[in-house]
Amino acid sequence: MTAPSSKAAPPRARRLLLILPLIALGTLAIAVAMSHGGKAAGVLRADPETILDDPALRETALKAGKEVFAQHCAACHGENGKGDTRIGASDLTDRDRLYGDGTVSQIEDIARYGIRAGNKRGWNLAVMPAYASPVPDKAEALPPQKPADIEALTQLLLSFTARATDEAAVARGRLVYSKAGCWDCHGRDLGGDPAIGAPNLTDDVWIYGGRADDIRRSISHGRAGTSPAFGRTLTPAQLRSVTVYVASLSRTEQDGK
Amino acid sequence: MTNQIASPDGPRAWTRDLDKPMARRSLLLAAAGALIGLGIAGYGLFTAQGTRTASVPAEDAALVNNVPVLRADLIAQTTALHGIPYAQASQAQRKAVLDGMIREELYVQRGIEMGLANDDIDVRQALVQATEGQIAQDAATAKPAEDELRHWYDTHRTQYASEGMMTLHEWLAPRGTDAARLVASLRAGATPASLGLRTTGRVDDGEEFYFAAEEHLGKPLFAIARTMADGAVSDPQPAPDGMHILQMVRNRRPVPTAYDAVRDQVLRDFIADKVARLQDGNNRFLRKRADIKIAADLK
Repeated sequence: MTAPSSKAAPPRARRLLLILPLIALGTLAIAVAMSHGGKAAGVLRADPETILDDPALRETALKAGKEVFAQHCAACHGENGKGDTRIGASDLTDRDRLYGDGTVSQIEDIARYGIRAGNKRGWNLAVMPAYASPVPDKAEALPPQKPADIEALTQLLLSFTARATDEAAVARGRLVYSKAGCWDCHGRDLGGDPAIGAPNLTDDVWIYGGRADDIRRSISHGRAGTSPAFGRTLTPAQLRSVTVYVASLSRTEQDGK
Repeated sequence: MTNQIASPDGPRAWTRDLDKPMARRSLLLAAAGALIGLGIAGYGLFTAQGTRTASVPAEDAALVNNVPVLRADLIAQTTALHGIPYAQASQAQRKAVLDGMIREELYVQRGIEMGLANDDIDVRQALVQATEGQIAQDAATAKPAEDELRHWYDTHRTQYASEGMMTLHEWLAPRGTDAARLVASLRAGATPASLGLRTTGRVDDGEEFYFAAEEHLGKPLFAIARTMADGAVSDPQPAPDGMHILQMVRNRRPVPTAYDAVRDQVLRDFIADKVARLQDGNNRFLRKRADIKIAADLK
C-alpha cells in the first residue's frame, strides 16, 4: 500500500473545494440581484420628489435613468438633454417647463402618457393654431390672420427681448393679440399657461427658435409638438428612473453641481 | 467502510468518485436541478409584471383583483385634487384618493362583467377611441430615421411650400361702358378713378393669403388672379353684377420651404400618415380574424 501524496488533498477537502466556491458564487449572485431589486423597489416606493435628495436612491435612479434616457429620449432631446428647436424638443436642462411645474411626478406623467400621443391621460389640451390657414384650429373657431397681422404679432413678441424693428407694428400687434384669441391660451399678460402647455411669450426661451422667421412660422403654420407615451414600452422602474434623471438635468445645471 | 467504498451503489460512493458516472448521483442531481428550476419558475410566476399575486408590487399602490392601481397615478391624483405636493398630503387624504381609485377600478371591472361595452354608447365610443389611440401611441414611440423624413419631405414638397400672398384690386366696370376699352386704358396707365371704375370692396384690405383671396374672389376669379404678374390687368370677367376687372399689385407665389425649417411639420405628417396606415392595417387584421356574418339582404 502506497501512502497518499502529501500534496494531494483528501477527498472530502477536494469536494469542499469544489462545492464551496459554487455556493459562494450562487449566494453572491442572489444577494446582488436582491440588492438591485431592493434598490429599484425603493426608488419606486419613494415619494418621487424626495429621490434626488436621498443619496442612495439618487444614485440608483440616475444610473438606471441615464441608460434609459440614452436609449429612448436622446434621439430627440439630445444626449445632453439640450433639446432640438427644429422639432420642438424642449431643453430639459433649464427650469422653464412648458407643462406643469417640473416636479418629478409631472415629468413621469409625461413620460408615461405622452404629449399629444394618443393617450387620453396625456397632455392633449391645446395646439398652436396655424393662423395663415383657412381653419387655424380644428378644435376652436379662431379667425385666420392677414400677413400684416402676423407680422405685427411677430414684432410684438420680439419687443419683449428688445428686438422689434417696427414700433407701430408692435402697437398693432397688441390689438391683433386680442382679436386673434391668442390671450385665450397665453394669457392677457402673455405669460403662458403651464396647465395646457402654452409657453410664456415674454421671455427668451423658445421651443422652436426665437428668430423672427421662427416666430413668424410658428404663428403662420402652428405647432403641435409631441412626446411619445412610454407607458407600454418601459417598465415602471425604467419610467421612474428616467424621470428622476431628467429632473436632475435641470438641477445639475442650475445648481452648478 | 471498505465495502461501501468498493460498492458502486454504496451510500457514500456517489460522493467520492466524482469522475465516475453513477446512476444514483445522476438521479439526485437531476432532482435537485428540477427543484431549483421549479423554484425559479415559481418566483418568476409570482413576481413577473402583471402576474404578481403574492404581494403589491413596488410600482403599485394597490391591486384590485390583480389589476394594478399605479402609485404614480395616486400621486398625480392626490396632487391635483388637493393642490399640494404629495409629501404634504396627509395619510387620510392619500387614503381617500386611493379609495376613490379602487372604487373606480371595481366599477370598471363590474362594468366589464355586465357587458357595458356592448350596451353603453359612451363606453363603446371611449373604447374605440382608446384602441385607435393605442395604435397612435405605438407609432409615435419609435422615432423615424432622418432619411425616412427626408424622403417624405421630398415626395410632398408642395405641402411644405409657403402660403402665397397677393395684393390686388377688383374693379367693377360701370354699366353700359366698353369693358375691353377700360382694360386697355388701365393697362396703358390710366387711373381707375379717371375711368369711373369702383371697387367691389372684396379685396381692399391690403395683402392677403391665397386662401383668403380665393374665399373673397371665388374660385374662377382667384384662378385668374393667381397667375397674374405684378401690375397686370385681367381681361373683363362677366359676373351677375357686371364686368369685373382684376388689377394685380403684388403677387407673391408660394415658394418651397427648406427641410430644416419644416422638420417638425414633416415629422408630424409622417407620424400621422404612419398612424393612418397602421389603423388601416389593424382594421383589416381585425376583420380578417373575425367571424362576421352579414344578413343575406345586406350583402
